[in-house]
Amino acid sequence: MSADKFPAKDDLKRAFENWSVVRFMALSDMRARYKRSVLGPLWITLGTAVGSVGLGMLWSELLKVDPKTFVPTLTAGLIIWQMVSGVITESCGLFGRQASLIRNMNLPLSIHPLQLIFRHLVNFAHNIPVFILLALVLKVPVNANTLLFIPGLLLVSMNLLWICLVVSMLGARFRDLEHIVGTVIPLLMFVSPVFYRPDYLPFSQNIIWANPLSYFIEVIRDPLLGVAPPMFVIQTNLAMLVIGWIGAIWLFNKKHNRIAFWV
Amino acid sequence: MTKLEFKNVTVQYPVYNSRSLSLKNQLVRIGTGGRIESEAGHVSIVTALKDVSFSLKEGDAVALVGHNGAGKSTMLRTMAGVYSPTAGEVVRQGRVATVLELGAGMDPELSGYENIIRMSVLMGSNMREIKERTSDIEEFTQLGDFLKLPVRTYSSGMATRLMFAVTTSTRPDILLVDEIFGTGDADFQEKAKKRMEDLIESVGIFVFASHNSELVKSYCNRFFRVHHGAVDEITRDEVV
Repeated sequence: MSADKFPAKDDLKRAFENWSVVRFMALSDMRARYKRSVLGPLWITLGTAVGSVGLGMLWSELLKVDPKTFVPTLTAGLIIWQMVSGVITESCGLFGRQASLIRNMNLPLSIHPLQLIFRHLVNFAHNIPVFILLALVLKVPVNANTLLFIPGLLLVSMNLLWICLVVSMLGARFRDLEHIVGTVIPLLMFVSPVFYRPDYLPFSQNIIWANPLSYFIEVIRDPLLGVAPPMFVIQTNLAMLVIGWIGAIWLFNKKHNRIAFWV
Repeated sequence: MTKLEFKNVTVQYPVYNSRSLSLKNQLVRIGTGGRIESEAGHVSIVTALKDVSFSLKEGDAVALVGHNGAGKSTMLRTMAGVYSPTAGEVVRQGRVATVLELGAGMDPELSGYENIIRMSVLMGSNMREIKERTSDIEEFTQLGDFLKLPVRTYSSGMATRLMFAVTTSTRPDILLVDEIFGTGDADFQEKAKKRMEDLIESVGIFVFASHNSELVKSYCNRFFRVHHGAVDEITRDEVV
């Protein structure tokens, strides 16, 4: 089998060929999760709405900023953060949860990361109406920059995909990764611009930009607020994309054949 | 043309203890220059298959016999492509279906019907094929309206019926089966046996791991004894 020489490429290729399986699994997982609730996936929307409005009121009071600009910022930040942190946290146990599939069927392994990203994008789509509603009510500027949110989202999704691939491989090999990530992610939230724009707190800007996840938030949120993201944010995202994928492919190629034994 | 060939296949896998599964311990080990390495856990390598070669062609029905832990399940997983050989080569031509552990891909929150679709999609069927097969599955399982309820409400016997019906509803070229009989009531056992026989007749290559020598003798025409990771072909009379 020539495929054995470069299993990562073969695996990814087969995963994209099995796109219908990826889509079906993501939606079916979602259906299973909300099976016993009346509102179903609308719970996501509702939770985000309540959370961001409530927090927005409180924090704008605490930080003494105008809720009219702060609430949309926070809402967009929380929605994006939910996706980013959700993907990373769930990646740790990803292969472990799908162990029965991995051990019994010859399916490409990368369908699992793809499926996770797809599911979180669907979640994101459920959340974004909350922001749109707030944006309409609070008159957030809509202009040509707003459209930049589409390439921004694409860039972040592609970045999350390699992160998910790497973290899920490490998580399959090291079982305590889940707890380590569970401790670190909330910390990262506080040094990310979820609760405040980087320019609110000039003294801590450097700390914020040391957190790679900040770039994911800014590259999607700035366009949503009608502002073009700064050039260095886009450049950092692109650099992470290229370097991350090279590293991820290298690791996946090396360890691909081991994963079935790990789970 | 369906075929399955092993060329000098060796499969080794690591077995980790709880310490070596911990990233924290690994980092401590690196950080201390291995000075407390004795505490950092040991990885044992298990050689499950050692330099195995054989060739299966259309019409072969192979029995894998051997005691527990001899490597039968590893062999089936390597045949299926779940495990990759450490050395050697596996040549596989044809659509493979596996009946290794029942219930792969089943979601207890989803209804019986939804699980039929889910498991079939995972096995590589498209919606049209699934629709065609659903009535056959309904009939075999005789679960009736239970199929509309979530699988978590099923008794284990009912769940087995459903899983068995779905996994045996495809028509693959290569069918790999691990010992799965012995569940369900006598009536179901009889039906399952009949269904299995129909399926075996329709596939190109059939591989069956079992301890039941009678069953093996009635289904198979070639017999492999797996013993400490090595494989010898034996005659029908040597199967005990």
